[in-house]
Amino acid sequence: MMRFLPRDRMLWLAAPALLYLAFFYAMPLIYLLGRSVIGPNGPTLSLFASFFADEYNWRVIGNTLRIALLVTLVSLIIGYPVALALARARGLVQVMLLTAIILPLSVGVVVKAFAWQIVLRRDGTIAKLLVATGIWDEPQRLLFTEPGLVIGAANVFLPFMILPIYSVVKLIDPRLSEAGATLGASPFYRFRKIILPLTMPGLISGMAFVFSLSVSMFVIPSLLMGDRFQTLATLTGRSFLLMRNEALGSATAVVLLVLAVSIVVGSTILSRRIGRTA
Amino acid sequence: MNPAPFLDIRKASKDFGSGPVLDGVDLAVTRGEFISLLGPSGCGKTTLLRIIAGLAAADGGSVTLDGQEISRLPPHRRDVGVVFQNYALFPHLTVAENIAFGLRAKGAPAAEIAATVERFLTLIHMAAFADRSVRALSGGQQQRVAVARALATKPKLLLLDEPFSALDRKLRETMQIDLRRLLRELGTTAIFVTHDQDEALIMSDRIAVMNRGQIEQLDTPEAIYARPATPFALEFVGLSTRIAGTVTGYDPDGFVMVETALGAIRGRGRFEVGSPVLLGVRPERIRFGTEGGANVAAPVLTDIVFQGARIQAHFASPDQRPVMIETSGALPAGLAPGIPVTISFAVEDTIAYPLAAA
Repeated sequence: MMRFLPRDRMLWLAAPALLYLAFFYAMPLIYLLGRSVIGPNGPTLSLFASFFADEYNWRVIGNTLRIALLVTLVSLIIGYPVALALARARGLVQVMLLTAIILPLSVGVVVKAFAWQIVLRRDGTIAKLLVATGIWDEPQRLLFTEPGLVIGAANVFLPFMILPIYSVVKLIDPRLSEAGATLGASPFYRFRKIILPLTMPGLISGMAFVFSLSVSMFVIPSLLMGDRFQTLATLTGRSFLLMRNEALGSATAVVLLVLAVSIVVGSTILSRRIGRTA
Repeated sequence: MNPAPFLDIRKASKDFGSGPVLDGVDLAVTRGEFISLLGPSGCGKTTLLRIIAGLAAADGGSVTLDGQEISRLPPHRRDVGVVFQNYALFPHLTVAENIAFGLRAKGAPAAEIAATVERFLTLIHMAAFADRSVRALSGGQQQRVAVARALATKPKLLLLDEPFSALDRKLRETMQIDLRRLLRELGTTAIFVTHDQDEALIMSDRIAVMNRGQIEQLDTPEAIYARPATPFALEFVGLSTRIAGTVTGYDPDGFVMVETALGAIRGRGRFEVGSPVLLGVRPERIRFGTEGGANVAAPVLTDIVFQGARIQAHFASPDQRPVMIETSGALPAGLAPGIPVTISFAVEDTIAYPLAAA
């Protein structure tokens, strides 16, 4: 006789969410996947063969990965110190910082992208600032350039980097760093050997969040880069919405899906392994 | 002329904004000495420890260690090891890596690190646990690793912040003796913070009794127990029988005479006639029956408490302060609650303290 342990029974708590996802999310996804591998004469991979044969599509994959990596990197560099500061902040300062990080999430991404259009223009805030400080000789346009896209996207996704790191950092006993100091470790050595390894699970989940968000973003590159620059997500959108090419759209969607899933699964495994040895 | 003290703290003061936590504390420690800072929570002992380690900045005063003024140095340049109350072991490292941490941070050669780690693992009887995660250890094992980690860098001074408070009583006693022996073998100068008077009495060369941001008495455990300098030291270290009264004069031998609710009692001390005083005497110094030349009283017995090796007799207290006898011998026959019992205690063992008019 099998008996259920309380822990096993707890797993049923996930059942409603699983059913919901299976019905409304997995089924359309399977349909999409089917569209990409079933041709008029039965199962075929010809769609992918022709997709990968086109050099333009490789450039699209390159664009997608490059932008996603840069956005993740910029969010990490800006977000990590913020998360450390947030965990050490107390009282009103902490509340204000948290509000400043979470509140922008309530502003729609379309609104934010339009706002960034204004900021990145030739006569926008950034150009004016850089000219005024003498870094630029004359105003330049950041809008419709890759740096502009990275800056804008990193801003939108920053909370998804900060919050997972913050939730890990605030659990770290501040005495650990003090103990390191009394053992003769310099602040940098303490950061490298204590803070960094202990925050690694948070770093990995933050990076997984931002990477999967930026690998699949659609609105931000559409508004900040325009049509000449395509990523897998914008190409998927164009295929379905503009070109009415459902076959191409299915193929790009599946490539994007495989990329995103492998990144998320890979980082989860990595963070679990680090969590075990850490 | 005494040589300059190994650790010299002058006028250390700290105020977190709600009154002084440390009120101009002076403390001089000799090389190799084991000093306890003993006091209730909030007396400033942990703050003093953190100031010595450099983990907190003092508002004023100076700390000199081995001839070098270290008040302005950051903690990692002070060469002062700390064993934290919760041990603060690095959870992502093994036992051996924890012990090696300080030496690695200082860039010691690998061979020296390996030899030191092995030596300390043997010293704390944990050689078999070298590659275990510290999270899998018991409280007592964690504490030993924390001590080894702090000692592995050979700090000039070791600070211990209530390192036994999380351990159960039985384990605590053996570990106190083990730690004392280890530190003596290594010749380590140590300052030990505790609120547990037994711990302080067992372990220390000298005890600093702290109260309200000041050191009230700094002396050997024996001297503090036998001659507490203040009513606080009397009350905090060991048990005491205490009774308030008013000074009426002096006897021919120079002992102060005090009128109390238990009758006239003589003791040591110098006060003006008419001033309110508190008389204190250790319960084990009090005997049943009368004794020539001693203080004699006859309070009403309220309770007899059996404690194994010792027995306490509690008496009705005229002013809510404890009046008790502690004896390891047999109790006289016929003792019963509600009956007055004649007790006596030597005049030399009775100490009078000034009593602030409440």
